[in-house]
Amino acid sequence: MKTVSSGDVLKKNRRALVLAVIMLALALVLLSLPAYEFDATLYTKRSGNTFVGDERYAKAMEEVEAVAESYRQQGYEVSVSEQVTERVNSKGETTSMITFSIGSAKTYRAWDFLGAGLPSSKILTVVLLCAAGSLVLMLLGLRGGMATPHYALKGASARMRVIACALAFIAVLLVPVFAMVNTHSFSREVTLFLSNMGGEAAPALMQKIGEFLYGGVEADQLPELLKGVTYHTTWALWALIPVLFVLLCSLIVLAKGELGPTLARGGLYVFIIAMSLLILYPFYVMFITAFRGNAETTDMYFLHMLPTKWIWSNMKDIVERGVLRYLMNSIVLSVGATTIAMLCGIPAAYAMARMKFKGKNVFLGFVIMSQMFSPVVLLVGISQLMNALHLNDTIIGLMLINAAFNQAFAIWLLRGTFLSISSEMEQAACIDGCNTVQALVRILLPMAAPGIVTTLIFVFINAWNEYTISTVLISTPANKPITVGITQFSSFNMIEWQYLFASALLATVPVIILFMCIEKHLAAGLTSGGVKG
Amino acid sequence: MDSILVRRKWEPYVWLLPSIILMTTFVIFPIMIVFKLAFSEISKAGIVGGFVGFQNFVDAVKAPAFGPVMINTFIWVISVVGLSTLIGFIMAMVLNQEFIGRKVARSIVVFPWATSLVIQASIWNYIIKYEYGNLNNVLLNMGIIKQAINWRATYQIEFMWECGVGIFVTIPFVTFCVLSGLQSIDAAYYEAATVDGASFWQKLTHVTIPLVMPSLTVSTVLNIIYVFNSFPIIYTITKGAPANKTDTLITYLYMLAFYDQKKGPATALSVIGFTILCLVSGLYMMMTMKKEDA
Repeated sequence: MKTVSSGDVLKKNRRALVLAVIMLALALVLLSLPAYEFDATLYTKRSGNTFVGDERYAKAMEEVEAVAESYRQQGYEVSVSEQVTERVNSKGETTSMITFSIGSAKTYRAWDFLGAGLPSSKILTVVLLCAAGSLVLMLLGLRGGMATPHYALKGASARMRVIACALAFIAVLLVPVFAMVNTHSFSREVTLFLSNMGGEAAPALMQKIGEFLYGGVEADQLPELLKGVTYHTTWALWALIPVLFVLLCSLIVLAKGELGPTLARGGLYVFIIAMSLLILYPFYVMFITAFRGNAETTDMYFLHMLPTKWIWSNMKDIVERGVLRYLMNSIVLSVGATTIAMLCGIPAAYAMARMKFKGKNVFLGFVIMSQMFSPVVLLVGISQLMNALHLNDTIIGLMLINAAFNQAFAIWLLRGTFLSISSEMEQAACIDGCNTVQALVRILLPMAAPGIVTTLIFVFINAWNEYTISTVLISTPANKPITVGITQFSSFNMIEWQYLFASALLATVPVIILFMCIEKHLAAGLTSGGVKG
Repeated sequence: MDSILVRRKWEPYVWLLPSIILMTTFVIFPIMIVFKLAFSEISKAGIVGGFVGFQNFVDAVKAPAFGPVMINTFIWVISVVGLSTLIGFIMAMVLNQEFIGRKVARSIVVFPWATSLVIQASIWNYIIKYEYGNLNNVLLNMGIIKQAINWRATYQIEFMWECGVGIFVTIPFVTFCVLSGLQSIDAAYYEAATVDGASFWQKLTHVTIPLVMPSLTVSTVLNIIYVFNSFPIIYTITKGAPANKTDTLITYLYMLAFYDQKKGPATALSVIGFTILCLVSGLYMMMTMKKEDA
């Protein structure tokens, strides 16, 4: 532990405290600045064949002003704007059209949202409570002494300083949430409401929005008024995030003495959470879409984050459409391919690991090379060969291809495993009269079990997930493995997404479970024993 | 190397035989067939005629789609391998730290790797649909955007999405390769570096990167081959449309051979692709064999 003089601590803490107070004051200022600017068009009038300043213009203007006046009497703050469109008609004369519109533009401070009863109001309340709470706790925590280094603080004041940090952290996170909730209310919910697709709570929310924007209007006027609403968020709201973040940093200094390690740690967790969410996102999509109704999968406005109704019968439907058959084919294909690959691979790996013979390096080179040949680039050749062998359109053909193209990997991984096991036991057994087959089966294989299982599962998964060769070789529906089978739900002009993803779900879950079992061994196997590095 | 007693000289070859038969039949033969077809005249009906020299290659290269397809292939391989290596490396560094939930995080990283490419590609194809895609749906519902965005306005953008999906599914492999390299590094190196006052960057460039270089090389070379051969992503999302503008060599070859029934030029392209792969794998083999000797 570095020794810190109490004078240094005092200086540092004082600086942090001053910064924290300044940031809180700044946050209050920002909350009082305009956070949102709303524009609503209340009324438009087009006047054709009109030029600015002529008789028609004056007449139309008069009319518009009268309407504006009636709005003003109702208590709106309105302004009249005009837009001139000039055009040359077919006779070569210039005509002009003027569009008058009565708009109401209004800015709102963050404070205005507090009592509005909108969904975002609650969030803003929490932000304010958190900020205030962090200030109070920080001041309470300071009783532990300004000159005391953080590790020497008494339990209570140390805890209070940490909780103050946590509250400030929540406040930082909730500012963007506040903006998002507002966008959701004023844009998404309004759009849904106007297209009659809002949920049961929509009318109540719209009433609140009407009160907020226009100070209370009749329900039947509301859709017309909401149609023209546009808004944007000002910088003041976004500036709140860095200000609160600096507040958080100064609180961290008070609680932990140092800023760097805490931020690095926090950054690490943020990265991991963001990464996990991104990786899981497509799986979330697959899962929820698998249980949506048909209409829901292709209607943007209808969609909510989860199915409005979970259609479990999708699973039944895909079973009726033969998905079990595809799954069965995949199982047969993968088990067969794995068996063949292991039956050929284990003896070869054994010879490579334990025996000396001429041409060993040639075979080694061949194995490494063939690891590089993807079946895809050889598609035409493979399909011709399968025709010649009469294995076209059969699962056995697929098995053999998958086994052959996984052979190199299997030999590599198994050889690595065998090499990592000392051969003394086998040598002793051979001297005792065992032959090589017995030495392999009775002694080496049981010891190499983890490596063998890893290889087995990896080959299984490769065969299970293979798509390209199967799609070329298999044309009879009854022989399709699941990866090819799911494509029956997508035709040229229509894709039945819910069935596609329901079958994909069935095809994916078992494999992910298997993969998680070998994950630990695979990392080591890939570079040290298997795909050699 | 310690080896066990082999009584008969021919015995090792018997052990190798099944493997050799399997690989010769299903790997070597197709290669030979492809080479033979590439230099033969093939009718639309698939009847193989006589030797035509390099005619198929000339046809394949002269096709207007050939140039853009090769450029796409190049962009595809470089961007997917490059970015997934970079991101995978960073993720491996992060996963190598001690933190709460590390095991869970490592299991999650495996997910895209364990899923069939055609399924991943289908999901992303759905996600980025303009009218009802899930990305617009989620962003609208969370209040991040105000209006639906057309995520696939042009074919260039669609190709970028395809590269993105390629990167997404390739990252786990790199992560695990680098992770195994990182875990084999002796902590003493870092302790020594810390004692000498090395900064984070100095440790990274002088200790970590040199020591994980072997793992990184393996994963990069293997990735070049896997990515070059990757078919389902592009085939599922755009099928190379419009007019082969988003095709790579592999998907273009497939379309030529099995849709347009132009087996001659298709096999010629196979040979070209095969030659490129051989150069890369030859390089890889040389590096690997060198290490075996050492």
